[in-house]
Formats: sequence, structure tokens, C-alpha cells
Amino acid sequence: MSIYNPAIFSIDPAETKRYAGLQKTEFNPRLIEEACTEAQLLIQPKGIWHIYEYEAASQLILPQEISLQGKSIGRHLKDSHKVAVLAATVGETIENQVTKSFEEGRYSFSVLLDAAATTAVEALADSMEKSIFSEVKRQGLSMTWRFSPGYGDWPIQQQPEILALAQGEKIGIQLTESLMLMPRKSITAVIGLYHAPALCCLPAEKKPHCHQCDKLDCPARRDN
Amino acid sequence: MIHIFDGAMGTMFQQLGLLRPGDCPEMLCLEHPEEVTRVHQRYADAGANIIETFTFGASALKLEHYGLQDKVTEINTAAVKAAKAVTGRDIKIAGGMGPSGRFIKPLGDLDFEAAYDNYFQQARALENAGADYILIETFIDIQEMRAALLAAKDAAKLPVICQLSYSEDGRTVTGSDPQTAAVTLDAMGADIIGINCSLGPEQLVPIVKVIAENTAKPISVQPNAGMPQLIDGKTVFPMSPEDFGTWAPKLVQAGASYIGGCCGTTPEHIAAIRTALQGVELPKFAPVRRRLMLTSRSKTVTIDKELPTVLIGERINPTGRKKLAAEIKTGSFVSVKREALDQLKAGANLLDVNMGVGGIDQAAAMKRAVTEIAQLTDAPLAIDTSDPIALEAGLRAYPGRALINSVSAEKERLDKFIPLAKKYGAAILCLPLTDEGVPQTAPDRLEVMDTIIAAAKAAGLQDGDFLLDGLVMTVAADSDACRHTLETLQLYRSRYGYPATMGLSNISFGMPNRPLINSTFFAMCLAAGLDAPIMNPYDEAMQNALMASLALLGKDPNGRAFSRNEKNLAVPKKAAAARKTDLTPLEALKAAVIEGETDEIGTLVENALLTGVDPNELTEKALTAAMNEIGVDFGAGRVFLPQVLLSAEAMRTAFIKLKEKFPASDENTKGTVVLATVKGDVHDLGKNIVGALLENSGFKLIDLGKDVPAEKIVAAAQDHKAAIVGLCALMTTTMTEIDEVIRQLKEKNIPAKVMVGGAALTQEYAEEAGADYYASDGVVALNIANKIVR
Repeated sequence: MSIYNPAIFSIDPAETKRYAGLQKTEFNPRLIEEACTEAQLLIQPKGIWHIYEYEAASQLILPQEISLQGKSIGRHLKDSHKVAVLAATVGETIENQVTKSFEEGRYSFSVLLDAAATTAVEALADSMEKSIFSEVKRQGLSMTWRFSPGYGDWPIQQQPEILALAQGEKIGIQLTESLMLMPRKSITAVIGLYHAPALCCLPAEKKPHCHQCDKLDCPARRDN
Repeated sequence: MIHIFDGAMGTMFQQLGLLRPGDCPEMLCLEHPEEVTRVHQRYADAGANIIETFTFGASALKLEHYGLQDKVTEINTAAVKAAKAVTGRDIKIAGGMGPSGRFIKPLGDLDFEAAYDNYFQQARALENAGADYILIETFIDIQEMRAALLAAKDAAKLPVICQLSYSEDGRTVTGSDPQTAAVTLDAMGADIIGINCSLGPEQLVPIVKVIAENTAKPISVQPNAGMPQLIDGKTVFPMSPEDFGTWAPKLVQAGASYIGGCCGTTPEHIAAIRTALQGVELPKFAPVRRRLMLTSRSKTVTIDKELPTVLIGERINPTGRKKLAAEIKTGSFVSVKREALDQLKAGANLLDVNMGVGGIDQAAAMKRAVTEIAQLTDAPLAIDTSDPIALEAGLRAYPGRALINSVSAEKERLDKFIPLAKKYGAAILCLPLTDEGVPQTAPDRLEVMDTIIAAAKAAGLQDGDFLLDGLVMTVAADSDACRHTLETLQLYRSRYGYPATMGLSNISFGMPNRPLINSTFFAMCLAAGLDAPIMNPYDEAMQNALMASLALLGKDPNGRAFSRNEKNLAVPKKAAAARKTDLTPLEALKAAVIEGETDEIGTLVENALLTGVDPNELTEKALTAAMNEIGVDFGAGRVFLPQVLLSAEAMRTAFIKLKEKFPASDENTKGTVVLATVKGDVHDLGKNIVGALLENSGFKLIDLGKDVPAEKIVAAAQDHKAAIVGLCALMTTTMTEIDEVIRQLKEKNIPAKVMVGGAALTQEYAEEAGADYYASDGVVALNIANKIVR
């Protein structure tokens, strides 16, 4: 088990703009900048992960024998013999400020702040991946990109098991009855670890591509 | 002299069948010391003259995994003994210490002091057993390295070797670059600075070069035998001894004088190094002038007479700022953090941190401020305090090389602050004050400065550790105050060559038009040798003086930056406002709503009302018309949600203004909408957006919030005689609750139309659930609502 709360020195305005659904238009950069700065003050980034043995043929995480359901996750981990199960959150302070700003009538700021929080939690997960990679590459392993319950046909109903494997409760992540992560700006994910010859860097294709997602009308959908 | 380390140990034990998965490797030192000696001996025979003990994981925090935390001394003692049993000429023993595997707070859950204790215990055991060096290796975080180095220095009198591991991007996992690490560790008293593991020799050559440019200390390097590969389920390092050997002279050329191997290296690799280095001489590097370098965890800032001015932001200081002081007192650091970010945006390169609030635990506040700012920015910090305990708390917690603000010639400062600077590798801001007071003239100040520098050097500080304060007095009280300061700066420059600093605003105390005096004085000081002003970076007059001075003094070559800065361009801004004067007041209002120019709305509403437009007409022709137009543009993909919301904010401002003028207009609504995110679902931003658009388009909104049970929604619809019920669910796990709400609404025969939406919902789902309308976004929802009440 590793806990890692990386420092986040800036929140990418371009990503924030995209998550706010503004990638195809001009928008006052000062407002985006303002939201990114505010977000940086309010986030409390925390991450945790755990590495487990994995049996690709049966899609089982060992030793708990958690069976991963669905074809997408099976495909994602088909070459892996270990998995890193991670959980990350930027905390609830920023979430409360999103709500508060909206109540005060700062509608657009609230939406931008929400987008900046999303950017931050993704950046947090990126930093964790880097740290995980530095740990596993010494064993001659490479990694897949992170895959979360709800991606493809992987049922969200496995969220409790994944959160428990990551020990997300240690960094304050909880589940609602309807299987939502609280704080909302949290993620869980599984990364496959597999044998790879002569690796030296994280594979470039570590990020999920938007074309693999079936939500075609997503305002943050990337073109490529 | 070139020293040769040994190579990997663990893999050799695995090959010998002595280590099985799940075993504590270091127990071999107790259980089979003769085997440990045998492997050491092979390395010695291959040509290594420094043998590293087999104690990488022999600290309490690591041994805990095997329940062996009580065996630290025993294992380390046996390990040194096993190494000392090696025979041969002049073999030295390096007592190895590896990382704990955990991150130090706030990056992880390990206390700095727990890490310190962990390494103190191990270093003490290694020294007592007779090690010749302490070798801290394979660390990936500078803060854990700092803890281990402090502990090793406190526990043992041995030279300490500090080796970090870098990733392909040239940084450690927690972000330190080799320059920053070298500067930080050099200042803290590391005796040898180096790198091991992670990368092969080829990738380490450039990193060795960077370290050599930033420290005069010897450099050690222990690369892996190339990058690992997995072959038949086993990790294999591909580089042959011969290839590995060819890199050894290149590493020496780059500046390393201690060379060995890490993962994948064998006695053959070490023998190849030995052969390749036959007759190779250490290159002679010209001594580098030690410049003042300050670091954070991941960045180095150099202050030097030959470099551009470094701006030290002074705003994290509660002195004279009641609100900030009160906040710090209650334990909130939001404003402190905001000042940090804002000052950096305004151009500060370094941040001064002062926690001088009465009635609080200064040390705790300083530690917290330093820790929080270090998580937020990469600018190095100046720790500004007169309290030695707070100073030490700040220095200990800070994962870099800080500046101490300040050390005067007052006895207490000399006695207490200088040793702390030495211990924690901090630089000192020297202030020419004595217990007797302020020396007035420049020669007098120089004399005091001599005293401070002599005391600091006697304690082990050296060139590159000093920033000299020019001392600014008030010109209203002493007409020569400015001249004294300028002369002082010039004398500092000619006598020591160290960079100079000072706070400036004191000069104008008691004078009118202080900004003019301050900025003029600033320009003079920059010319006289001021390198790092401590100032308010938001002060535009000062920033202007700085920008112009840099161009004039050649620190902004050919004034390039000056010429690019918009402030200095004579092109007038496009007169966007002019266009609006052609518009009627209603048209201007409508345009402002469309553009989302909330600031102008109040005035525009009043202007319109002054021309005799009645509120209904204003709402109809300006506000509603604007929203309609935005709706069309949104539907066509020409504008996007946040832009619509800016307009909604403008609408809101307009309605608030109208309500002020005509309080009764509240009655006149299009209809009542009950809105809720259904039970089990906690996402409400989308629902809030719908609510804002409806409310600011003349609907009466009853927003029930999130996670709302069906019964409550039905009751609200009944009580408020709602025309519309809007339901939101974001997830597949919660959208079934929509069906339940609709069922209950129908059961109670409530006539309201039902509109549903949310990420997981679709038109088909809405129809099956029995909803009247599906709204894919907020603007569609508004259009539907308008249609329903028409």
C-alpha cells in the first residue's frame, strides 16, 4: 500500500476549458485563470494504491479472488499479471465551493471551478501513475492506462470492490448507496502491469481516447 | 582519485538460491554472514575498493514488514562485520541505507521525525559497527533524503554519500531536478552527492554533468546495467560488462569520481569498470564562483549580480494586516496560500513567509505555512522570523534550501541563527544592525557586515550563502538616508561581490506621493547594485521602475522584454465601447446580456428605465429577447454552456435591479417549477444550471436540492401548484428513481408536466419512464419550459 499526495503547482487552463465544454470557442482567459487559481487553493489532493496479483484468463484479482466483470476490462488487462488498484480525490472543500458559488449567482465561475477540479483530479491520477511506474519498472514491468468502473461494459456495481482493494477509505473516499464516490471529485481505477521488453518510458498511449467512449454528445469529447 | 564501488547483491543471492520471494533479504547477514562476505569478496577481487553493506532494507520501517523491527542494530552490525571480513588492499565499507518505501507528509503518511528516527538508528548502528561511510541510496524524494542526511549527520561522524534516483524526465518521482537536489544537499553538508539506479549509464552522463556544474563536492554514480527487460518471466538487465565498462570514462569526464553499479551489475561489470578506468585521470574543472542559489523541492533560483533581478514577494506577512492576522490565528491558511499564488503571478520569484501573529504557536504556524506553500508553488521561500524555534521548525519542514530573514550582528541572532543555517543548509539575509542600533554611514555598515560574515564563515558558511541588506532609513528623518543606502550597495558589491537585497518603502515614510519616491529610489538602487528587492509585487509603479531599469542596466538585453510588454506600446486599445453608443438603451442592455457583461448591467437597466421604458417592456425586449437569441446560438453550437451562464448572471443582475425598483414585479411569474436531483444522486451542478436559467427567465423556482425522496417532490409539486416538475439523475444507478417519482405523481393525479434530464438519461429512457419531456441540456430545458407555459 502506498499513499501519495503529490503537489500540484498549476491546473491546466486548456484542460479546464475543455472540461467546461468550451474547447471549440473563445472564452475570457481571465475567468478560466481565476477558476484554476481558486481551485489550486481549495484542492486537497490525496492518492492511494495497492498492487495485486492478477490472473488474466479468469479475470481474477488475487488473493481476494475478486472477479472483474465485462469484456472491456478483460481486454484492457489481457496481458497483465499484476494490477495496481488506485483511488484518488481532491477533497470536498472545492466541491462545497462549487455549490456555494452557484448559490451566490456566480454561475459560470461555478462551472469553471468544477471543470478545474476535474482537471486537478486527472492531474493527480497522472502523478500517481508516474510514481507507480517508477516502482514497477524496476521489476521490468510496463503499465496500461488507467481504467475505471463504468468504462466500456465494466459495471459500476464493482465500484465497492475496487474502492476496497485500493483502500480508498484511508484517504477519505466513501460510497453512497447508489455507488457514487464521495467526495465527487474522486476516481478509482485499475492499471494493468505486464511484461514489456526494453521499456524506458510510460507508453505514450496511456490515456483513454475519447473515441473509445460511447457518449458521443459529451461536451468535453476530444476530436482525436 | 577515482573510487570504485561494488555492484548488485540481491540478484546474486537469488542465483545462489539463498533468497526466496517473501524472505527478508537482510536476514542473510545474520543467518549466512559467510555467504554475504563471499559475494563482497568477489566484488573486491573484481576491483571494488568500496564495499556497500547488505543493509538496503535494514531500517526499522522496512524490517517492520517482516516483524523484524527489533533487529536493526543486530542486522546492521552483522552486515558491517560481513563486509569487513573481506580481505584485500585498502577496502572501505559504506553502510548502505535505502528508502522507507513511504512518502513523508504531506506527500504521504510518514512523519518527518519518524523517518529521521528510522535513519538515525540505522546510521548509528552502522557507525558503531565500523563503517567508513554512510551511503544513502536510491531515494526518490528529496524530503526523505533530507531526513536521512540530518539523521546520519547527527548519529555518526562519518562522511555521508547521498544518492537519488531520477526518472527518464530527469526528475525524481517527487519532482526534484539534479541541480536543485545538488544545491540542497551540498548546502546541508552531504559529503558526496550522486545518483544510482533507475537508469543506465548512458542516461546518467548528462545528470552527472548537471550535478558537477552545481557542486564542488565529489560525485558518485551507480547506474543499472541498462534498462530492465523481462525475459521468460525474469527481469533482465541487458548491458554486458564490456558495454558497461566503456561508459565509465565518460562518467568520469562528466565529473564523477565514485563509480559502481546498481541493478543488474555483477563482479564482471565492476571488473570492466576497473579495466576501463586504468590510467584515466580525473578531469580538472576550473573552480566555479559560488553563487547564491535557493531551492524549493523542484526549482532553483539564483540571485547574482550578473543575472536578472529576483523579486522577493513580501505579502505573506500579517504585520499591520488585521484580516490576515485574524485568519492565521484561527488556523485558516487560505489567504496565505492565495497571497503565494497571486504574488507569483505578479512576477515574484521568491516568497517571504512571516507568521508574526501574537498569541499563536509561531513554530507550528511557520511549519504549516512552509509546508502548505511548498505543496502549492515551486518558488523557494525566505523564512522571516525573529524566533529561533519558529525558524528551526520552518527550516526542518521545508523540502529545499530556504533563505533566513534575517541575521544581524545582534548576539542572539549570531549565536542561534547561524548554526541553524549551517545545519539546514539555508542561506542568510545579513542585516547590518548591532545590539547598539543602526550604523548610519556606509563604512559603518560595512564594518558590521564584516562581523556577521566572519561569524558565519567561522561556523562553516561560505561564499554563496549570503544576501546583504542595504538597510533603508527614512529620508524625511535623515536627508542623507538615500545616499547612505546607495553607497552601502556599492561598497557591498566592490568588497564582497555578494548579491544585495532590501525592503524599500521605509525611504518615503512621512512623505507625500510615496509611490513616486519609492519607485525613483528603487531605480537608483537597482543601478547601485540591488539584486533582490523585497517588495509588494502588485505595486505597478515599482514594477514599471523595475522593467525600465532592467532595460537600462542591460539585464534585459536590448530592452527586448521591455519592448514586447503591452504596457509600453503606444497602440490605443480598440474602442469597443464606442459601438454601444449607437444603440438604444434596450439594445445596449440586450447586447450586454448576450455578452455576459454583468458589471455594466445595473447602469444599463437604469438608463433604460430613465428613458421611460416600463419594466415589462424591458424584460420582454431586452432580457427575454437576449436569452432567446442565446438559446438559438447555443442550439446551433455557436455558444457554449459557460457563456450562456455568463448571460444568465447578467440576467440575474438585471432582475435584482428591477426588483429593487419595482418590488411588486415578483408576482408576475411565468409559472412555478419544482426542481430536484432524485434520491440517491448527489450531483447537482446540472440541475442548478437548469434552475438558474429558469429563474432568470421569469419562472418561479422551487429547488429541492439533491438526493430528494420521491414523496418530497410530489408534495412540493402539490403544495406549490407546480406547472412543471424537473427531475435530474446523473447515473445509471440512480435514474430508475425517476420512474418512481413519475409513478407517484401520476398516482396523486398531479397535473404538472414532467421534464427530465442528466448525463445517463436519453430520450428513449424518458419516454419509457413516462416523462413528458426529455431535456438534453439547460437551454433545451428552458425552451421546453417556455413551451409548456405558453
